[in-house]
Amino acid sequence: MTFLPGRIAIMLGGRRWRSLAPLAVLVVLCVLITIANPNFIELRNLVRLANSAAVPLTLAMGLTFIIVMGSIDLSVEGTLSVAAMVVVLLAANDSNGNDYGWWAVLAAIAAGTVMGLISGLVQTMLRIPSFMATLGMWFIGLGLSVYMLGGSAIRLNDASIRNLALHRFLGLPLAVWVALGAFALAAVIQYHTRLGRHILAIGGDEDVTKLSGVNVVRVRIAAFALAGFFFGIAGVLAAAQLGQSHAVIGDGRLFAAVTAVVVGGTALTGGEGGVVNTLIGVLIVTVLANGMILLGISPYIQQTVQGLMIIAAVALSLDRVRLKIVK
Amino acid sequence: MNEGFSIKQVFEGKWTQGAIPLVLLVALLLIIEIAAPGFLTGETLALLFANTAVLFMLATGVTFAILLGGIDLSIQAVASLASVMLAQLLPSLGFAAFPVAILSGLAFGLLSGIVHVKLRVPSFVATLATGGVVTGLALWVSNGRAITIEEAGREKTAWINATIFGLPMVVLISALIGIVSFLALRYTRFGRQAIAVGAGEPAAWAAGINVDRTKIIAFAASGILAAIAGVVLAARLSSGSPVLANQLLLPAIAAVIVGGTAITGGLGGVARTAVGALIISIVRIGMTFVGVNIFLENMVFGAVLIAAVAITIDRSKIAVIK
Repeated sequence: MTFLPGRIAIMLGGRRWRSLAPLAVLVVLCVLITIANPNFIELRNLVRLANSAAVPLTLAMGLTFIIVMGSIDLSVEGTLSVAAMVVVLLAANDSNGNDYGWWAVLAAIAAGTVMGLISGLVQTMLRIPSFMATLGMWFIGLGLSVYMLGGSAIRLNDASIRNLALHRFLGLPLAVWVALGAFALAAVIQYHTRLGRHILAIGGDEDVTKLSGVNVVRVRIAAFALAGFFFGIAGVLAAAQLGQSHAVIGDGRLFAAVTAVVVGGTALTGGEGGVVNTLIGVLIVTVLANGMILLGISPYIQQTVQGLMIIAAVALSLDRVRLKIVK
Repeated sequence: MNEGFSIKQVFEGKWTQGAIPLVLLVALLLIIEIAAPGFLTGETLALLFANTAVLFMLATGVTFAILLGGIDLSIQAVASLASVMLAQLLPSLGFAAFPVAILSGLAFGLLSGIVHVKLRVPSFVATLATGGVVTGLALWVSNGRAITIEEAGREKTAWINATIFGLPMVVLISALIGIVSFLALRYTRFGRQAIAVGAGEPAAWAAGINVDRTKIIAFAASGILAAIAGVVLAARLSSGSPVLANQLLLPAIAAVIVGGTAITGGLGGVARTAVGALIISIVRIGMTFVGVNIFLENMVFGAVLIAAVAITIDRSKIAVIK
């Protein structure tokens, strides 16, 4: 059954055009917003744009590996809030006497990685679909962080960690450079390591990958741990940007990350797309959010627009020939 | 059956899978009765049922989606939107606000179903997306704030908080919903077809069942029930808010799975969900009773969800577990 979007996709020339579509959307979006409000291309606004893209970009890097593998990680918000909680509670803060400085950052990233590792173990060892395993982990992480924070907001007082958001290098906040570093790391992992190739192979066809002698279970666990690693970094950045951690630090992040990955052109069926697509996807989501604010559209409606974007992007990108049953 | 008797077999038998949650429920009730004698009286039980009502309505809706082998991650958003609409519209529309709020649930349930089926988007993504659409709308309509139902509006919601013959109205509403859903699944063409689709979609399709229509109806039902739950919640709390039901998504899904409905579809039903919802409710009361920190509830439910999925899932149905 070819429904309208499918037909449009075919009409527009199939795979090759499709891979360029996100970039075209991004360019058109930038041009339209600039025409409507020239303030958009002011340097100050572009820096603001880069700053608000930092956390979503880092998150989406991790999520990309999972989606390319054909799975999903719904624990984004839970893992992020655990990492943010760890960094705030271990670095100088207004709730306890800890002051471990950058060790707190390492601990937070480690905590994120462990959360991801558990997701991977639960998914592969208990043999349950990833969306259920990570749905459980989402709330386990959320419950843990809210419990540790005692249900209140705790301020981060460590100046050097706060500098991630406040200090600028070449005009951009350090958080943006960290996010770009995360992107570079993700790109290297995807294109130049065995793990990256195996993840892509599993997404393409898990049975064939298994028959080729790849230890699928180990790759899956490693991929979830890798995703948790990126979520951990994002948690640190989020805590540094907000200057605190609280119960709702993760709210809406899963949604933005999934939108970015999917809009970038990574197929939910797996095996197609990658971190470069996601970079463009993150920019589309951030530019649109920024543009809506510049155009005076209620920020509350953003989630609605993102939701519609997910639907449109997935409908356009799903490789329907491979999908006999959609559940 | 001349194979050896093993615990694994017992756990995998359909009959025992249906009975385990019930045994668990009875055991939990007995434990609480022993720990705090006087629990099993009419009054506390009525309170227990009343506190379970909203959860049960949400869970019954998701049961339809899960029975088909799908999932609905938009129920908390739909319920919150319904609560906002009720609170917002009561002053101007009066009693007409109830059907309007509930119809919004129908509309977004239909949207989820159509996106899922016609655009062939997996249900967890389709409903995650519609959930976002709905949350955005709820935030927009309410300006991001909770809306209190004023005195005049409270007169119109009073009937939901009333008691009839010693039974809270919410219990009667959820019982009615439970019975109608139970009958719909067991005795209507839609119900039988839904179970057939969940049990084996290609076979159901080959047998001439309109798979698409069945799925859309199921998601529409889930939307309506979520909206009713939102309306009842708003009436009980005398307020509507765009995040009112956010904490209920996980318990609702957990209730369905703990009750013994498999996420692989085709096995389970509303009666099991009723048992599951009561178990979740009692565990929640029990945690407060034992002194478990309220913030840890989410952790417990997350773990319970994973465990229940691992036990009830039918792995023979999924070629590759993604």
